[in-house]
Parts: sequence; C-alpha cells; structure tokens
Amino acid sequence: MCELFRRLRYLLNRGRFDQELADDLEFHREMAARAGSALLGDAVRLREDARAAWGWTWIDRLGQDLRYAARMLWRSPGFTLTAIVMLAIGIGANVAAFGFLNLIVLRPLPVRDPDTLLRFERRAPEQYATDLPYAEMAFVRTHSTTLSAVLADHGTRLTLTGADKPISVHFVTANFFQELGTQPRLGRALDPLHDDTADAEPVVVLSHGFWLRQFGANPGVVGTTVYLNGKPATVAGVAAADFSGLSLSSPDLWTPLGAQPYFVEGSQLLTSLSGDPGVKMWGRLRSGVTPAIAEEELRSVVAAMRTQHPTDIWEHEMLESSPGGYAKIGGGSSRGLGTPGPDETLPVIGIIGALVLLILAVACANLGGLLLARGVARERELTIRAAVGAGRARLLRQLFTESLLLAFLGSAAGMVLAFLLLRTVMLATDAPPWLDPTPDWRVFAFALGIGVTAAMLFGLAPAWQVVRQRHRASLLRQSLIGAQVAASCVLLIVAGLLVRALDRATSAAPGFDHEHVIAVDPGLAEHGYAAGSAQTYLDALHARLGALPGIESVALTSTPPLGGRRSVSRPKSARRPVDIYINRVTPAFFSTLKIPILLGRNLQPGDSHGIVVSESFALGQWPGEDPLGQLFEGNTVVGIAGNARWVALQDPDAVEMYHLASADDVPSLVAMVRTSGSPESLAPLVAAAAKAIDPKIFPDVRLVKTSYAGKLRETEITALSVTILGMCALLLACLGIVGLVAYSVSQRTKEIGIRMALGASGSHVLSVVLRQLSRPVLVGLLLGIAGAAALSQVLRRELYGVSNLDPLAYAAAIGVFILTATLTALVPARRALRVDPLKALRYE
Amino acid sequence: MPIANMPKTEMPSGALVLLILRVLHSGPLHGYAIAQRIHVLSSEVLRVEEGSLYPALQRILLKGWVKSEWGTSETNRKVRFYRLTPAGRKQLDAELSDYDRVNEAIKSVLKTA
Repeated sequence: MCELFRRLRYLLNRGRFDQELADDLEFHREMAARAGSALLGDAVRLREDARAAWGWTWIDRLGQDLRYAARMLWRSPGFTLTAIVMLAIGIGANVAAFGFLNLIVLRPLPVRDPDTLLRFERRAPEQYATDLPYAEMAFVRTHSTTLSAVLADHGTRLTLTGADKPISVHFVTANFFQELGTQPRLGRALDPLHDDTADAEPVVVLSHGFWLRQFGANPGVVGTTVYLNGKPATVAGVAAADFSGLSLSSPDLWTPLGAQPYFVEGSQLLTSLSGDPGVKMWGRLRSGVTPAIAEEELRSVVAAMRTQHPTDIWEHEMLESSPGGYAKIGGGSSRGLGTPGPDETLPVIGIIGALVLLILAVACANLGGLLLARGVARERELTIRAAVGAGRARLLRQLFTESLLLAFLGSAAGMVLAFLLLRTVMLATDAPPWLDPTPDWRVFAFALGIGVTAAMLFGLAPAWQVVRQRHRASLLRQSLIGAQVAASCVLLIVAGLLVRALDRATSAAPGFDHEHVIAVDPGLAEHGYAAGSAQTYLDALHARLGALPGIESVALTSTPPLGGRRSVSRPKSARRPVDIYINRVTPAFFSTLKIPILLGRNLQPGDSHGIVVSESFALGQWPGEDPLGQLFEGNTVVGIAGNARWVALQDPDAVEMYHLASADDVPSLVAMVRTSGSPESLAPLVAAAAKAIDPKIFPDVRLVKTSYAGKLRETEITALSVTILGMCALLLACLGIVGLVAYSVSQRTKEIGIRMALGASGSHVLSVVLRQLSRPVLVGLLLGIAGAAALSQVLRRELYGVSNLDPLAYAAAIGVFILTATLTALVPARRALRVDPLKALRYE
Repeated sequence: MPIANMPKTEMPSGALVLLILRVLHSGPLHGYAIAQRIHVLSSEVLRVEEGSLYPALQRILLKGWVKSEWGTSETNRKVRFYRLTPAGRKQLDAELSDYDRVNEAIKSVLKTA
C-alpha cells in the first residue's frame, strides 16, 4: 500500500526525482574521475535503467508511441478516414444496440429510489398469475411489516367523451404519485389525504402526453369536468412530462383505484377474490430489508389469508418478487397452470446482438486487411527502426498503439453515430419523453470496451505479421477476406429470409379471414355480469346484429384474433414440448373466421369433452395415426381444423385447440361479426347495437384487419433494419475486396507486364488477378451459409413464418453477394489490363 | 594478477541490497560512498558498478527501507545522502538472519557431501 503510494509520488514528481537522480550520477562520475578510474557507459542509458525501478517506464513509452502514432495517422489522411468510417459503422451499430438495451432494460424508471421497489407476482407449484385479487393486495398492505408501502395498478381502456377512440386508464392506489416521488406539472397529483376516503370526489390526473394531444396543453384544464364512460370526474392535475408510472409507455390518465366501480358500473374488481381481473402490485422495502426477507414474510402473510379464503388463495402460494423500478417489456397480464414460459425478450436481444457483432466483425476484418497492406508500404520504415535497435516487442507495441488510437477515434465517431441513430428512432416512434438517448457512463464504458476489443481484433494479428516481416504471406490476408465474406453473407441471408417472410406474410393467408371481421368486446366481466345475465345480453346482441343488413354470421370466442388476449398451455403430457393456444368458442366461430374443418365434425352444443384441434397439432401429436377419437388430457378429438394463428402470427410452431365455450366463460366472451361488404361502415352500427342493450356498456369495437396490419408493420420494420445492416456489411466487404485487388495489382505489375509481353490475353490477366480471391470467397460463403442456418433457427420462432431453409432467400443473398463482389473486384482489376509491358519491365 | 583487476563477478541483486543496507547501518552515506565502502570493506574484491547501484537504490527507496536527505559531500557539493529507516533496519535484520541460515546450510552441505 505504502509502496504504491510512493510509486505514485514518483509518477507525479517525475521531473524533480529525475533531476535528483541525474545529479547523483553526475556526482558519482566526478568522484570516480578524482579517484582516477574513468567510468564507461552511456549516462542517459544508466539513468533510464535506474528509473525503470519506479515502474513508470511504460507511461513514457506510451506517450512516445501515441505521439508517433498520431503523426503517422495524420500523414496518411485517406487511410485514417477510411478506417474511422469503417469503425464508426461497426462500433456505432453495436453502441446503438447497447444504448437501446440500456435505455429499456438496464436503466431504472425515472422514479424515486427505484432499487427499493419490488414487483410481486403470484406463484404456486401448480399455477401462476401476474395479477393479484384486490383483497389480497389490501391484506398484504395491512399485515406486512417489511414493506413500508404497497402500490397497486390496474390498467384498462375506457371511453372518454370527446376522444375518438378508447383511452388507456390506470387505476392506482392513492399513494402512487407520492411513493414514486413525482411532482405534478399542473394542479395536484393523487394523494392519500384527498383520494383515500370513502366519500372522495372522483378525480383524474392527466398524463403529460395526453394533455398535449387531447387538450392542446391548455393550462385551464385543471378543475374542469371530463366524462369517463359517461361518468363525470374532475381533472385534478397534469403529471410531469418525464413521469410514466411504472410502465414503459405512459397511460392517458390515472385515477384512484377506489373509483373503479364508479366508472365501470357493476365492476367487482375491488370485491372479487378470483384475481381475474386483478391488480398489479409493487412494494417499497423498508431500509435494511432484503427482497428475500420480504418474500419470506409475505409467504406467511398469504398463508394467514388462506385460512380465511382456502379456495381463492392457492396452496403453497407465494408472492415472487422481481426488481420493480425497471420497465418490463410486454408488461401485460397473464395467468395459467404450471410455470410461466421463458422470457421471450432474451432470444430477441441475442439475435440483435449477434447481427451487430457481425457488422463489427466485417469492419474489423476489413481494417485488418488494410493494415496488412499498409505494413508493406511501411516496410522500409520498420526495417530502419529494427536496425537502430527496436526489438520485436517494441515494434509490436508501436503498431498496436496505432490500432488503439484508431479504435478510440472510431469509438468516438461510433458514439456520435449511435446517438444520432437512437434520437432519430425515438423521434420517429414517439417514444416516451423520459427515454433520453444521451449516452450515460454505461454507454461510454461499453463504447470504450468494444473499441479495445475491435483494436485487438483488427490490430494484433496484422501487427504480428508485419513485425515478423511476413506480410507477404497471404494466409492471414485470405482469412480476413474469408471472415468478411462469411459475416456479410450471414447478414444478407438473414435479411433475405426476413424479406421473404414478410412477402409470405402479406401474400399468404394466416389461416383465417381477417378482411371482413369485426371484434366486439362488450367487457361484460368487467361490469360484473354473471354467467346468466351475460348469456341474456349476448343472446340479445346476437339477435340485434343478425337483424343488421350486411352481416353474415356472428360467433363468440374467448380469444379474439390478435386481440391482445392469450391463453397458452404447455402440457407435460404432450408427446413433444409444444405451445398450445387454447380458444373457447361457439360452433359458428369456424365459419365466421373461414377456418376449414378438414376432418371429423365441428363442435356441437353439449360437447363438454369434445375438442377440435389444428392440423399441425394432430400431425405433431399423432403422426401417422388417425387423430379422430384420440384422447388428450381427458378430452376427445372430434374434428381437425385448418391451422389458424390467431395469436402467435409470428410462431410457425404454434398449434391451436378449441373447446366449446362453457357457462363460466360467457362473461368474458368477445363477439366476432362477419360482414359481407367492407367492415368499416358497419363498425359504428355494431357498436351502437352493443350499447343499446345496456347503456352502461362501453364496447371495444375493432377491425381485425387493423390489428393484422399492425402486426405486419412490426415484421416490416425488422426486415428493413436487418436489410440496412446487411447492406452496410456488403458495402464494407466490397471496400475490402477493392482494397485487396488494387493492392495485388500494384504488387504484381511486373509479373503482369511479363505475361502481357509474352502475349497473354486480357481475360487471362484478369483471371490471374482474380483467382486468388476465389478460395477465401468460397470458404467464406460456406461458413456464412452455415452461420445463417444456425441463426435463423432462433429467428423462426420470433418472426412470422421465417423458414430457416428457404432456398430462394439463400440463393438470392449469395447471388447478390457474388455479383457485387465480382463487379467491385473488376474495377481495380481493370488497372491490370492497362499495364504497359515496357514501362512495367523498366520499373524497379 | 592484482585482485582489483580480476574479472568482476555479477553480484545477485538480493546480495547487493543486503550490502547496501548493511553499510548504511553505521550512518547515512551518499551513493559514491556506498560503492566505495563496499569496495574497501570487501578488501577490494567486490566492486559495485553504478549501473547496478542506482537501480538498486531506487528500488530500496520505493520499498521505504532508506530515505534520502540533502547533505554536503567531502568536495563541498550538495548531494543526496541515504539514511536507513526503521523499516530498513528491520529488513536488514531479517535478511541477515536469512543469510546466516542459508550460509550455514550451504557450508554443511559442502563439508559432508
């Protein structure tokens, strides 16, 4: 410790200590001269040796190397600029991808003390749910001693008089704003003092974005009355611009949880113990309490509640905690049997990471080739330096310092590029305003790290070859070309697969008709309808809709196509692991959505244990057998329907299973209406019909084709981004090929001259120049194809209909690559044809 | 052949440190005096070159075994004198006992083997 401190003192006062050492040595020589023994040896060298004991020599050398490297780069601006542009693209793509991850996943939400916030979800050995019954949340709030506060949030869509579509409303506990430490922009936020009493006046707090969009940023909005689901409420305030609650995107407005039954007439959210619908729960840890301690305490709290409600609280139920101060991607509600499926965002992040790393690989391989070629031009300089005593290690360090300097410049340019890219994306997608793309320390550290990694990738191998004076050996050069070809090939093929998938998605049907169907969700369960009254309502709806002109059929379903709901089962009894999407429907569902019954029969009233499964389900479970009459988890297969991906449009492995809707399902059913003409004109009539039966109902009416178009746009954007990445890689690879060919032409001018003098034809000369490219390109192509096949295996689960062995995509990508590579190679190769044999032979 | 002209044997740097610490034990000295003292005390067998003396001194300074201070040389020049610190004294004791032990061991091997 002390020694380190002294070392640092030597570093900081280097000038003084150096002078003292010089004095010592000078005095020594004086005395020796007096004694008559003249000393030999170089005084400066001696001083350097003595100084080495301080351990700071490397700083001096680094300074020297950096100055020298800067001079070298400055003297060849063309090379330097090319290198920085390449690195900026390669590093920029990575920094942008990381910056995005950082914004969404790593950086906490802009709330007070995000690290003491925990999100709690229900878990039991046999089942799970993201949402808790209100009463369970309230019980925990009363009895927990490890949590200083409990927050709850229930999001839904309601109708605001004057708004053209349903708005997103979050019902929150009154302590929500105080606990998250946000100050309102205007008026007041919710607070327990005003809003937690039984006779509290109904109020709403507008989000900043909604205040801008709907109220034109009118400061006079506070105190006015708005009508939510027809019920008056006072605008208490407007939230701050950077506040979006505990979700990634901001809702339109917040209102107290206690007012939920007031706005949603008949709602049993606050009294029902079923947990469907329920609330999402967060807790704030008391200081000194760890999440594990809180979980342990809540386990006993929940067990205590179970003694009063033995059926509604599950056996061995616990509330599993996760960090609550971070945004959750896909923060929807889900519940089911077994354990929840694996997080689906991880593979996506992995794919993005792999793609941007490929770009970096292309850039590095490219730059490595350039550095090798430069090593040839610097042969004289290096020989001289070696001759005056620089060792291999010293030369290697010198060359690598140049690479490091380049990498730092590239990192800086890459960060600027990434920032511009992220900001453009944010502006284009109207991201929440608190997502600030300005790089923070994590992004800086990442950019620095990736810069050093890049320097090692592109700098070390060439530096080693150059120092060994082996730069003419072409193995490394060829591997570099091969690596570029492989990496850009992967990117091009993946881009091709995505484009093809998009093409297929737009041209091929998803297995059901989305053009002429309207989904009407009356939200009966939310309004407290029981099975009987819901059936009466739906019968009346059926009659009214049937009377409208232009309506062909009406069906009921628990999972409307692309409607945001899902019910998935991963049964252990299945022959192979599979995601089964379950739908509870009325028999008319198949004809309404035009899903064919291929074998057997449709569901019939009274089919309590009959199921219809999709074709791919039957093929997977009972290959080569007759699926009809097979038993599956106590149900008998009565019919086989065509594949219809009404939820997982993007997952070609998904299979479907249909039950007849039972009485329990009725309150949550959604009506599907098939129109003979265009559905747009009929939608308002359908909505009016649903409303006329019960005025407290605010039906959510959607066109299925609108949801479908939205899904396609996601794939479109993905395909576009990967195509841009692929083009970048292709561009970089072409630059590398041009460089290589130009270099080899200039090196072989003499040989070409001789060949031409002996009468070689133009095409022969070209083939001599280009032949050396064929092997690395071929090897690279093969590697690229293998890599793309592996990567697309993951892709096919995430993106709609990507087939990992689509021959057209592969052929097109390879064709594009070979064509571009040949054309770019011909440009510098043509110089070989213009070689004048006489001049070439006289040269040197 | 006079002893002083005998070919110089490389002194292991550990031994040099021990010798420097030992000669400083009797009082502060400047660099040249350290070399001289070792030369004289070893009956002119050991010769400390400036090429090994000064790096060793820098290492000892870093370890904190000696401190440098300004003094005046016999030629009336302002030079650095090196003084043993308490830590240096402790180090010297440790190295001396180490040396004795190893020396005894080597001797006994030489006698019996």
